[in-house]
Amino acid sequence: MAEQTYFEDVKEGQELPEIKIKPDKQQLVKFAAGSGDFNPLHFDEKFPMLKGMGIEDNIVHGRFKYAQVGRIVFAFAGYKGRVKKFGVSYRGMDLINTNVTVKGVVTAKRREGGENLVELDVWTENDEGKKTTPGTAVVALPSKG
Amino acid sequence: MAEVFEVTAEVEAQYGVESSPWVYEVTTTSVRMYARGIGSTDPIHYDVDFAKSQGFRSIVAPLGYVGTPAFHPETNDGTFGFPRRQGGARLNLPTKGLLDGGTETEYFDYICAGDTLVETSHLAEVRVRGNMVFVTNESVFKDQASGKVVAKQRLTSIHIG
Repeated sequence: MAEQTYFEDVKEGQELPEIKIKPDKQQLVKFAAGSGDFNPLHFDEKFPMLKGMGIEDNIVHGRFKYAQVGRIVFAFAGYKGRVKKFGVSYRGMDLINTNVTVKGVVTAKRREGGENLVELDVWTENDEGKKTTPGTAVVALPSKG
Repeated sequence: MAEVFEVTAEVEAQYGVESSPWVYEVTTTSVRMYARGIGSTDPIHYDVDFAKSQGFRSIVAPLGYVGTPAFHPETNDGTFGFPRRQGGARLNLPTKGLLDGGTETEYFDYICAGDTLVETSHLAEVRVRGNMVFVTNESVFKDQASGKVVAKQRLTSIHIG
């Protein structure tokens, strides 16, 4: 449980606390069960389509990475905040048992329609520093006032 | 490179054509299963009493989880679980490959265990780049009891020709 973030304390350029994960097959099977996505690409390394793609290991679900981005956005909003929107594009594959770092940064803040809105750039990053799942989010934060 | 698909007036005429509705269930078990699946340790996704103490009506669905489509072997896809249903767009898309292009969710309320949502889907956009066709569908999720829109989710798939 993260400490609540308040609108007044947020600064443009502020980085969100990052998450580092290294999803293994068990984690992806758990995600398959939770999400209902049982595509063998994600748990069967002998699935023929992988060979056709020149890949010898399983691919991390794009939606799994989306959910990881969701974790840092939700933690930033806190229980008193509200996530208005968040989206990503799947620009690069990540394979199981490789490092994935989930990051975010504040790009803007404004008051609009009685809400304290904060805009974020969010993404997952591989060990080469490539953003494999870039996106944006909008969060409404509580005010101290 | 010649484009593999053309966005004709006939295709554009299918923008916004709504599918038949489908029920999505959000239960304490399904929320916990999804939270386990993403590796979250936040008690807001597991502990009903804790969630209520924080002002929520039950445990909160992790971001990105908008419930599980009601499943029946005769009507749902066996691999992905999504419903094969009536209505919506019908496009003759290239089939050499299919990739997930992106996901965006807009929230109008929290989604919590105990919610039953009714989803409809429509074609929002089709773009072509070379041998790739980007197809974006938008799903609208309404609370079954109140009829209020709680979330909209845009899913982009990439069809490769």
